[in-house]
Amino acid sequence: MRANKSIVGESREINLAVHLIKLGARLQVLESETNLSYERLLKLYKEVQGKSPSKGMLPFSTDWFMSWQPNIHSSLFLNIYEYLNKSSAIDEIDAVIKAYELYVEKIQALGFESVLTVTRAWRLVKFVDAGMVQLTSCTCCSGKFITHTNELTSDYVCGLCNMPARAGKTRAKAQLH
Amino acid sequence: MQPDQLLEEIREANMAYLMLAQHMLRADRAQGLYRLGLSEEVANLIAALTPGQLMKVAGGNLLMCRFRFDDEMVWNLLTTNGKVDNTNSLHANILMAGKMAEAA
Repeated sequence: MRANKSIVGESREINLAVHLIKLGARLQVLESETNLSYERLLKLYKEVQGKSPSKGMLPFSTDWFMSWQPNIHSSLFLNIYEYLNKSSAIDEIDAVIKAYELYVEKIQALGFESVLTVTRAWRLVKFVDAGMVQLTSCTCCSGKFITHTNELTSDYVCGLCNMPARAGKTRAKAQLH
Repeated sequence: MQPDQLLEEIREANMAYLMLAQHMLRADRAQGLYRLGLSEEVANLIAALTPGQLMKVAGGNLLMCRFRFDDEMVWNLLTTNGKVDNTNSLHANILMAGKMAEAA
């Protein structure tokens, strides 16, 4: 945890918190990434979003990242994140924010809905740090995709090279027609 | 195309590229590096160019920017449509981001 005594440091943290709230981050993310008190973050959240933050626990399972569509979206995010991390020396949370913005930009340009939320993206980076998930190269396209660590991956084929039959035919899409 | 017209067009393309690169690096350095695919050293050089230097660099007979991806797989994906709309582009983007991360 960073010491938080200076006013400049505090204003930096408020800016960071506002940025994260605008991207849709949950309160737990803000609590973990800044030293601002819960009360101040709550106030900040209401000021920026105009409503109370959602309650309840954060999604904590790595399994979400393994299902077809989330895996592709979060793999794109993680590849961008890894690039930013390698190419410039920035704080982890800044890299998450910048990579998330680039991810959303790309996904929207392609005409998709962004499935990955900033809270989940942040969570994913924590999972990688903890060694619970990793990027594995697809043996077919050599692209890197998220898998559980220590999974047998010698013949791994990604979800885009080997598309499931029902890919893109989600319940949400079916309801539209 | 006349030779001087060709040189003029190369100069203009160079100018546009270098100015855009400078703009991106100043707006957000990390995201600029990602979009440009440049190393930090080259990015520093470009960001530090004065308008005079930039004109001089742009004025050669060579283009200053070049293709980032020479992978056949990426090009196939970028130019075709997948089973579900645009999934091939998405696939290509994952490959591109991954290759850049390897090179960085």
